[in-house]
Amino acid sequence: MTAAHGRSTEQLKASIPSLRAKDYKSDVKPVWCPGCGHFGVLAALTKTLAYLELPPEQVAVVSGIGCSSRLPAYLAVHGFHGVHGRALPLATGLKAARPELTVIAAGGDGDGFSIGGNHFLHACRRNQDLTYIVMDNEVYGMTKGQASPTTQPDWCRSKLTPHGTGMRRFQPAAIALAAGASFIARGFAGDPNGLTRLLAAAIEHPGFAFVQVLSPCRTFRPEQQEWKQLVHACELGPAHDAARAAELIQRDDGLGLGLLFEQKIPVYAAGVAADAADTLTAAERLAAIEAEHCR
Amino acid sequence: MSPPAADSIIESVAELVAHALELEYASQAHYEQLADSMAVHHNPEVASLFQRLAALSGEHAAEVAARAADMTLPRIPPWAFKWECPDAPEGADCLDPDVSYRMTTAEAVAVALHNERRGRAYYLHVAASATDAEARTLAAAMATEEAEHVALLEAMLVETGAPQPAEPEDLDPPHMPA
Repeated sequence: MTAAHGRSTEQLKASIPSLRAKDYKSDVKPVWCPGCGHFGVLAALTKTLAYLELPPEQVAVVSGIGCSSRLPAYLAVHGFHGVHGRALPLATGLKAARPELTVIAAGGDGDGFSIGGNHFLHACRRNQDLTYIVMDNEVYGMTKGQASPTTQPDWCRSKLTPHGTGMRRFQPAAIALAAGASFIARGFAGDPNGLTRLLAAAIEHPGFAFVQVLSPCRTFRPEQQEWKQLVHACELGPAHDAARAAELIQRDDGLGLGLLFEQKIPVYAAGVAADAADTLTAAERLAAIEAEHCR
Repeated sequence: MSPPAADSIIESVAELVAHALELEYASQAHYEQLADSMAVHHNPEVASLFQRLAALSGEHAAEVAARAADMTLPRIPPWAFKWECPDAPEGADCLDPDVSYRMTTAEAVAVALHNERRGRAYYLHVAASATDAEARTLAAAMATEEAEHVALLEAMLVETGAPQPAEPEDLDPPHMPA
């Protein structure tokens, strides 16, 4: 950066954040289709990392396979593009070996809920300090548009399921809750700033934080453009009582956005007990960060 | 036009500059992303246009950063900026239905024009609503600058002609049933 108005670079840095979202992006050009929701997730994640001032060398993003799993390549942090459905095992091992890192697993609905479905259940109940972002577009996009676990049973635009799957949809939030996840949120790729708030809370949450992101597939699910009009602030709020959260999640239409559930339970850390002193909620932690860094 | 919500009112020059900086950075990032996408999808003409627009936004961001050199800016969380759209007024609407890997130069100019008009509207809003007189004056000046960008793009649109509704043939379409 060049000095302006005769002031030194150091002085400029003092008033402008030293790390910007751009600093977390790599030089690799995304191959996602223009208009893909995943661009919104990438933008939200880089903004989150910049806002939390996490040094890039202290962050690792791990993924499986699929369009969304290309995410690590587009970030200038540590990355691991693993095999299909195995983002969570890789992230689990990494966090166990390098607990000082901020470890984020990312992928799509097929990768996370079908091929990696079993890992999802056990990551939820293990409650290791990880953030798991699932970019849910209700389709396998990379393989040209097949039904995924979250696809509607009557979606019949795939050659493999010309009459629909006939199967009930996987319910990510409800299943995460039943499996013991301690942080469950739902965001929308078309609202990158709202998603940034959820991702910041998820990363700050001590334990396993699951964020389902509704991320429209422009090419194979063009009707998901309607999500812009259909998503709504979730009426659930941070329901800390699991039974009440279960009831409310079941009643929700799947398009409600916000923090759906958060609970303080021991964090798995290779046999180390949870930090009992950390009793702040996500909202309280974000408020504390704002108080410390902003204004 | 309804009066602005109380929580969307800019209260100081420093707050306005922080918003302007974010707006220009978001604009630059948006155009860079579109340029990359078009390059990857073998649309070099439109990629080149977006690269030029990204460079322009970068210059504007540098100008705002220079203006910020004499002040301490408030650090604002990404979700707390005082604009009503999901991202900055000139930032990405990643789900923009008008963006396509097959888009023409005319369509790209139209997208950019829409963005710049949003930027101008934002500064006009601040010029009319900020509680600080100096911030109102600065916002009016920024709106004038944005108006120049709008005029530039409008002239480009005259050159390219209005976007045509029919999309060009897709030589590698997604494999979907009829």
